[in-house]
Amino acid sequence: MAKINFAKGAKKAGLAVMMADMIKANLKQKPEREKDLNALNGNIYLHAEDAEVDMTMVFKNGSLTVYRGKVGDPMISIAADSVTLLDLANISIKFGLPFYFDARGLAILWKLLTRQLKLKGLITHPIALTRFTKLMSVR
Amino acid sequence: MAYTYGTPEWEEAFKKMTKERIEAKSKPFIYFSPEWVGLWEKLLQGDAKYKEVAKDWEGVVVLHVLKNPDCGVDQDMFIHMDLWHGDCRAIRYVPSEVGKNAAYVVTGTIERWVSVGKKELDPTKGMMQGKLKLKGDLPTIVRNVKAVLRLVETSAEVGGKFPTELSPEEVEIFRKMIKDMTTKFSIT
Repeated sequence: MAKINFAKGAKKAGLAVMMADMIKANLKQKPEREKDLNALNGNIYLHAEDAEVDMTMVFKNGSLTVYRGKVGDPMISIAADSVTLLDLANISIKFGLPFYFDARGLAILWKLLTRQLKLKGLITHPIALTRFTKLMSVR
Repeated sequence: MAYTYGTPEWEEAFKKMTKERIEAKSKPFIYFSPEWVGLWEKLLQGDAKYKEVAKDWEGVVVLHVLKNPDCGVDQDMFIHMDLWHGDCRAIRYVPSEVGKNAAYVVTGTIERWVSVGKKELDPTKGMMQGKLKLKGDLPTIVRNVKAVLRLVETSAEVGGKFPTELSPEEVEIFRKMIKDMTTKFSIT
């Protein structure tokens, strides 16, 4: 089972706790996705703009440490309102890949196009983004 | 006479008390009073939007309201919602050991719940900020996020007088009512 750790102070940050809990519960229900966590190396930054909270997930050698705030130079940065961040977790996974051509996926694409969802790293780290989307997805 | 929680007598007496209070009290009802909970139950049971978005939801959700003696609430309150595929079967106060062990528990101070009721605090935002704490299987909640949000929205639609806005005399009346109710229905 993958190790998920909280950096100092992260347990008091709602977003950090939610994301860590969600990934933990997802891996319990879908253990085949552990290989995605094991393959991730680098920092992923999330910012819930309306809630004014942010966090960083640091993936390293099969472990995940969650931090409150921004840490290091993230390979992927995701900024959106809190509801959109949860919508990201609702993306369907089909044939091992995120599926954007149903209602939920199209809604995400629309938010991306209209800058309601700001995503950095889509071009430079597409495989890491795919793996992270799978880890986050509750579908 | 104190009723034992979980018995048919408890349920019957609780329903009777709620009905009588709804008829006797004038609106707006105080948030988290039995008459307010009764009104919320009725609203949720007739809410077409909730029925639609919650058709996949099964299980109990508990609102855990942290005590605040300044508002007349001397003990934590656990409001237990028995929800099943779009139906709200019942909303009741429950003893703490039942409330704490429910599958899904959302915890907040009275002030936070008041902010939700006034639509000043969006519940998703509140959870991400750590203002509302969630216990339960998060993937299930995220899959049903629209149902959870509708649930909270309806609590705001009930309206009512907020415990934080009561006069000192009203606080004392509210305190006594809660004390009598928790004793009578063994929900300490």
